[in-house]
Amino acid sequence: MADRTILHIDGVSKAFGGVQALYRVGFRVAKGHIQAVIGPNGAGKTTLFNVITGATCPDEGRIVLEGMEIQGRPMHELVARGIARTFQNVELFASLTVLENVLVGRHVRTRCGLVGAMVRWPWVEREERGARDAAMELLGFVGLEEVAHKMSGDLPFGWQRLVEIARALASDPRLLLLDEPAAGLNAVETAALADLIQKIRSRGITVVLVEHDMNLTMDISDRIVVLDRGRKLAEGTPREIQADEAVMEAYLGRKG
Amino acid sequence: MTGKRRLWATTAFAGAIAVASMAVSNAYHQQLLTVIGIHTLLALGLNMLMGYAGQISLGHAAFYGLGAYGTGILTTHYGWSPWAAFPLVLVAAGAVAYVIGRPTLKLSGYYLAMGTLGLGIIGHVIFREWDSMTGGASGMVGIPPLQVGGTVLSLGRSGMILVWVVVLMAFFFCDRLVDSRIGRALRALGDSQGAAAACGVDTGRLKAVIFSFSAVLTALAGFLYAHLVGFISPSSFDFLMSIRMVTMVVIGGMASIYGSLFGASVITLLPEWLHVFSDYEMMVYGLVLMLVMIFLPQGLTRGVLDALEGVKSES
Ligand SMILES: Nc1ncnc2c1ncn2[C@@H]1O[C@H](COP(=O)(O)OP(=O)(O)O)[C@@H](O)[C@H]1O
Ligand SMILES: [Mg+2]
Repeated sequence: MADRTILHIDGVSKAFGGVQALYRVGFRVAKGHIQAVIGPNGAGKTTLFNVITGATCPDEGRIVLEGMEIQGRPMHELVARGIARTFQNVELFASLTVLENVLVGRHVRTRCGLVGAMVRWPWVEREERGARDAAMELLGFVGLEEVAHKMSGDLPFGWQRLVEIARALASDPRLLLLDEPAAGLNAVETAALADLIQKIRSRGITVVLVEHDMNLTMDISDRIVVLDRGRKLAEGTPREIQADEAVMEAYLGRKG
Repeated sequence: MTGKRRLWATTAFAGAIAVASMAVSNAYHQQLLTVIGIHTLLALGLNMLMGYAGQISLGHAAFYGLGAYGTGILTTHYGWSPWAAFPLVLVAAGAVAYVIGRPTLKLSGYYLAMGTLGLGIIGHVIFREWDSMTGGASGMVGIPPLQVGGTVLSLGRSGMILVWVVVLMAFFFCDRLVDSRIGRALRALGDSQGAAAACGVDTGRLKAVIFSFSAVLTALAGFLYAHLVGFISPSSFDFLMSIRMVTMVVIGGMASIYGSLFGASVITLLPEWLHVFSDYEMMVYGLVLMLVMIFLPQGLTRGVLDALEGVKSES
């Protein structure tokens, strides 16, 4: 089982002042799975992502990526190691075009520095062409080739989410963290998103999907972890979670 | 800018410099154009930091002074050739900036503002008080002019051409830089530091690198100034100079390479035309900064261009 694990969250806690955003949360994500993390607002889902990506340091616990402890490592190092994420409130670079946004995602897979950028050695030109090809391929993958040269802020919201996913994919991640990717999307867009996430998985990328809502996750995820007020409430397959009365009552009951 | 547009802009700019260098024969105008050129380098250097990476420096005059005094001291006290001093002062400026930038830039923008303010003050105090090296308040005289082959490049036509050729090269390379992996990361950083970091940009390091680059450009301007004018004094590298540089960037427009030229021109020409200006210079800059920030946060150049676009599309 251990070698099938790509990410091991082990007893992770994080408090903000008096708020215990995460309390001894632990679970394993299997390679090639779509792993969902669900829970009501304030459950600690985004904090969990921040801890995994190195944006926040956990108070206790370990995060193990493919056998290596990564808690407290700088973010750029973790991106280079294969972790990519999107944000709950889409965070594109507004002064960059769509293509340039995706190219920033390629940052850790390219090497050109300050001097190289000004001199433009042949290898820099080659690297730039390669990065552009990769970025265009990803824009094609999410279906946004035609708007590559538009300013990213001018796109409709649903497309901005797709650009952000393409940007995250541009770093060739092994583990992709999506923070509420369906928030703000309509039903058609959500269905397309479900397809896209499955296509991402078939590229060999493990997906951790945070969702506020259960509908999308029940269909496409292999396993689900339920968080509530910073604690892990349950874990299992979608079927098990749906059958779990404690989850259904505590989580859905309180919400409804 | 795409490669083609970049080529066009550079060619047009080179043409303008060639025409101006032949047409302008009045000594006063030549001097004025030389100063505008040097100020353009200053604005461009600071714009790479402020406009693209979104970080402010209130002490860039220290790097300007480092370039000028560095070469002044090496050439007059130690008898170095200016061309030997040249790489050393640029590397020194870059290294000082990197060492200061690495810790301060990790923190929020205010720390850099404070840190650079302190740097500017320290620089000015050293330029003014280190009598034996800098000549103190009365300054340094007799800095030798630059020579290329047998030609002496001095204030006048040759100096003007030198400065503008350097400006042209700086524009060309900065433009390339902006449109590169590093330039995209910089602009991303200016937009959202958190998202840039999540994309794998080492934001602390990148900010120090661009701060250092900006210091090198600024020191280059100081180097040219010292050798063209032949005389430097601490008052050219004081807090007011740092504020003048910030004002040039803000007027020209953040993140606008050619705007730097415009900002530098305005700040050079205004005091020449309005002599009353000199007494109130600081106040006027303060006012300009406030007004531009409130009404045209993208800078005058961009703001006016946008307004024109608006008028065009309405009619
Ligand atoms: N940076 C922060 N500072 C203070 N409190 C925070 C911070 N980030 C999250 N929290 C708190 O931690 C709890 C969990 O938040 P979050 O992880 O965003 O939940 P979710 O993403 O599941 O909605 C909330 O009570 C939130 O207010
Ligand atoms: Mg959240």
